[in-house]
Amino acid sequence: MQLGVNIIVLAAIYALIACGYVLIYRVSRVLNLAHGELMMLGSYLLLATASTFTGHPLVAIAVALVLSLCVGALVYLFLMRKMAGEMVLAAVLTTIALGILLRGVMVIVWSAQQQYPGQALGVVNPAIALPGGARISTMAALLVLATAVIYGALFAFLRFSRWGVRMRAAGQNPLLAAQRGINLHAIYALAWGLSTLTGSIAGMLISLDSGLTGTMVLIGLKAFPAALVGGLDSLVGALFGALIVAAAEISLIHYVDPLLSDVVPFLVLIVMLIIRPWGLFGTREELDRV
Amino acid sequence: MRASKIAFAALAATLAVPAVAQDAYVVGITSALTGPPASTYAPAMEALQIYIDRVNAAGGVNGKQIKLVILDDSAEPSKATANVKRLLTQDNAVLLVNASLSSTYAPIVGEAKRAEVPLLFASGVCPREVYPPADPLQFCTTAYAATYDSRGALTFVKETSKQPVQLGLAAMAIPLSRAEMDFAEQQAPSFGMRVVDKEVIPPPTPDYTPFATKLKEAGANWVFSWAPWVTQVRTLEALRRLDWAGDYITWAHLESEGELVRLKDGKLFVIGANSLFQDNLPIHREIADAAKKANAKYPAQQMTEGWIAGMVIEAALKGAGWPTTPAKVQASMQNLKVDLKGLRGGQIEWTKDNHFRTKQYYRVYRWDSAKSVIVVAKDWYSYDVK
Repeated sequence: MQLGVNIIVLAAIYALIACGYVLIYRVSRVLNLAHGELMMLGSYLLLATASTFTGHPLVAIAVALVLSLCVGALVYLFLMRKMAGEMVLAAVLTTIALGILLRGVMVIVWSAQQQYPGQALGVVNPAIALPGGARISTMAALLVLATAVIYGALFAFLRFSRWGVRMRAAGQNPLLAAQRGINLHAIYALAWGLSTLTGSIAGMLISLDSGLTGTMVLIGLKAFPAALVGGLDSLVGALFGALIVAAAEISLIHYVDPLLSDVVPFLVLIVMLIIRPWGLFGTREELDRV
Repeated sequence: MRASKIAFAALAATLAVPAVAQDAYVVGITSALTGPPASTYAPAMEALQIYIDRVNAAGGVNGKQIKLVILDDSAEPSKATANVKRLLTQDNAVLLVNASLSSTYAPIVGEAKRAEVPLLFASGVCPREVYPPADPLQFCTTAYAATYDSRGALTFVKETSKQPVQLGLAAMAIPLSRAEMDFAEQQAPSFGMRVVDKEVIPPPTPDYTPFATKLKEAGANWVFSWAPWVTQVRTLEALRRLDWAGDYITWAHLESEGELVRLKDGKLFVIGANSLFQDNLPIHREIADAAKKANAKYPAQQMTEGWIAGMVIEAALKGAGWPTTPAKVQASMQNLKVDLKGLRGGQIEWTKDNHFRTKQYYRVYRWDSAKSVIVVAKDWYSYDVK
């Protein structure tokens, strides 16, 4: 039973991070390699708001979430917008540079030491006993719940809301979408904002569960194969990709060798690239275009 | 905001005009001030800067100021190599200091040897070459010591445990940590312990529960971890979330004092070579006052390693006299005794053949739930370094 819980928690982490990669790629065809750094920035923003709004954890969390959304949108407006019309590779390299810059800034502002936003917020993280003798921490349970809610909300947003339909249109054919009067820059800024928001939620919940260090950047990168396995332009794919990668990783840790956990996501990715290069739910056309 | 100053100084130093004439002792430092492992090194460098600033304010050494040139290498070997080349050719450093990951050691050692400049490892793990018979150019002040630490920890576990020990081991997937846990695995039977599981955990692990699950299911009643703090503490916390009630012993990194207070876990033992600030020795108060005065970014409790490095550098330069050369500094370091005023169990003593220390002292601390304070679980005990 504990094995199953471990798989679900890890899959939820990967899925929540991976949807940020998918949102931006789906709309603008840009791989955001600063996603891990933006995720970590979200956690640091929570740390900052926690010390600002002492004794009001919900306010601190809400403000941190709004700030994360704004950061994502601002990154697009002040940086990635300049890359519009340039080669996709240039945009990807820009995200790498952004990541390096963010890492340096975060060390200067918040130092390199391990931080505990949960302590600053005054929230506790007791373990919850589950049937079958399994246990899960409160924050890990919240993370699973948050993943389900966010994916549900994103599906509804993209399917039923006006802005969601515009976002899909911009992703499918930007030229036609622009000719129909859709403001592409607003759509892209929204995609960056939502991507940073979902990544930040993942970062916040991970840091509330086990603390915040510079290694969070690497966790962001580790979720990347989950998005690729599922198909970079598919949210459903990100969910299944995360589940497959997490199941393979936890099973190999448990039954074979814990050392394999580091390479498993990439092994799964290689297998997928050989069998179905565009991912489980990705569209073949998009890959051909790349 | 001293860490910010160090970061900006590192940037400014990169752009600075090369020094031509030296009127100060130049100590060149390459350190992981940024990057994932920075939490181990950045506090030590801030402490070193504070210590040297105090020395300079008091008139310097032999009437000359000490100039620290601190460059960030982000724990990347290529950056560290470039830093050292600059420190040697442009800054004319008479002493090099490495405070970074062990992966940066090999290229730095090569550069130091070519230039015949002594190299001090401060806050990073001591390389094999500083133990007897020591490499003439390499020295180390860092507290932790491969193999000795495992012996110290297993000795404590053996003395403390009232029942047969089923030992679990937790390492980070980096060479040094794995090698130390392999050594502990080999040594455990000679201490009458059975190793039931060994987990090697990759650094970018979002959830430690899968590894903790295996340690618990293997039946470990003691777990020993020698790894960067993040792996040590997250493994423990994951075990506790699984309702594991065993004892946990781990290395007392810079963060350990604050973490003992945060966790309030009576079955968590930290073994280290540095005394904790809860001892409240005069030297601890001196460091705390200096950190406060300097508006330090890191807590004083994390400054012991950097402070010790400062004391040793000051003593080495004093012995080298003025005007100095790298050879004079090296000669001074090969015959050095520094009283650490209680920061460790004994002094740092370097000889021609031993650039580590002649005795390695350990002390074990734990949280006392009844008194709500950190207490000494086992007082200083030592091993001869041969």
